[in-house]
Amino acid sequence: MDDLARLNDFRSEVPARLDLRAEEERLLAGMSAPARPDFRRLGLRAALAGGLAAAVGMAVFAVRGGPAPAPPPPVIRTVAAVELLTRAAERAGSRPELRPRPGQFLVFRSQSMDSAESDGQIWLSRSKRTIWLPVEGSSVGGVVREEILAPLPYPGRPLPPAAREEQARAGRPGRPERAADFDHRAEFLRSDYAYVSELPADADGMRRHLYTRLPFDGLQDYEAWNRVGGLLQESYLPAAQRAALFRAAATIPGVVTVKEARDAAGREGIAAAMVSPLGVREEYVFDPETYDYLGRRGVVVDAGRAGAPVGSVVSSSAQLEVSVADSAPDVE
Amino acid sequence: MSETSPADSAVIARSRQEPEVFGEIFRRHAAEIKRFVIRRLGLDVAEDVVAETFLAAFHQRGRYDLSRHTALPWLYGIATNLIGRHKRTEARQLNLLARTGVDPVTEPFTPRSDERLSAQAVQRRLAAALVALPAGHRDVLLLVTWGGLSYAEAAEALGIRIGTVRSRVNRARARIREELGGTDPTAPVIEEVRHG
Repeated sequence: MDDLARLNDFRSEVPARLDLRAEEERLLAGMSAPARPDFRRLGLRAALAGGLAAAVGMAVFAVRGGPAPAPPPPVIRTVAAVELLTRAAERAGSRPELRPRPGQFLVFRSQSMDSAESDGQIWLSRSKRTIWLPVEGSSVGGVVREEILAPLPYPGRPLPPAAREEQARAGRPGRPERAADFDHRAEFLRSDYAYVSELPADADGMRRHLYTRLPFDGLQDYEAWNRVGGLLQESYLPAAQRAALFRAAATIPGVVTVKEARDAAGREGIAAAMVSPLGVREEYVFDPETYDYLGRRGVVVDAGRAGAPVGSVVSSSAQLEVSVADSAPDVE
Repeated sequence: MSETSPADSAVIARSRQEPEVFGEIFRRHAAEIKRFVIRRLGLDVAEDVVAETFLAAFHQRGRYDLSRHTALPWLYGIATNLIGRHKRTEARQLNLLARTGVDPVTEPFTPRSDERLSAQAVQRRLAAALVALPAGHRDVLLLVTWGGLSYAEAAEALGIRIGTVRSRVNRARARIREELGGTDPTAPVIEEVRHG
């Protein structure tokens, strides 16, 4: 028995079935007490420390009577978003299709940059990675190999000491590791090929899929937009479903176009985008000629909410290659 | 999660308009959280910590990240913070177990006849190792073992970076292996995917 098994066994006599009546009564009593909104927590610091969790709280606050978000910069033309996504849909079938079979793996090579946070310090963490995902089933059966790249300062801030660990590890290729210990995603959020091949191939059906179980609380359109990203990044849809996804995405209220965008690899493109509750314009970038999906980018449009200057880039990715393999590398 | 019931995130979103709906989050997860709290602090303190965990969660539901479909990491994070207020209780019981072999935490659940003598030495050494860990390392280690959280979820629960989770788990495990006599020094550490 290894150390983890011994630890899991330690005090395992404590039963799973427990009397919870006292706790439930206290919760119910507390729930009926008058609520007091905690304004302090809606500040910038909380937004940075808590990431999107705090941002969602802020958005709800804003919806309930806070100041309206600033108007989007003039580079955006809303009508064109439909056109861009429609073109992407029309071109979805123009490339040779990958036809992965059960038992095989889809291999995604990508580069990304996302904000990272530790001890109240924030910076931009960057990596290159290749992930082998099983054609059917969750990412638990997948393998990932990641290479850390040199971290960058969060816009408007110095590179904090906490980023040093990444700096030291930068450039060394990682070893293949299991992609996930477990995958708690709900069924309707699956993105493996076997599942996405069965998704509706029409825009209406795909739109219903994107809004599955979303409460209409003012954030539903942004959530749906996020889910589009979940089907674009490290996921491969058959041409029919991909076309339906783009047509459905074009129907989401608030989607706009960005004429000049760039993915994490520096490739220039045109983007469809939506402004997040955190004041960041979340863009999906397409090749301006082929309308292939290139990657995503997050650009600050509300400095107060994002905690960074307007126009700065706080996240990005580039999907560099998608292929099919018979097997994934061995995990040590 | 069953196919027909809504995700935690949907329940929490609805509870922002209809607060009483939040009771469903309690019904889904209270037993698991309570078992975790008892394993760390014992039965006496657990009622307070569990009640406070869910009340705090209720008051913070407006800030819950709706893209997280299961609320367990969030609840574990709140519970772990509250457990931190009872460090002395936790240490006192672990020390007692390490010294005497009697564990006040499991005593209410252990029949007298079941002495589990063969395992006792290991348990005493585990208790000694756990009490010697820095609190932050113990928190992370127990979230990924007893709580069953992935590294990403533990990072989310505690508001720390995944790299910090990884290094704390590694250091805590090294400490425990040392205490147990270095039985399995090469056990691989598995990393969770970092989702952009």
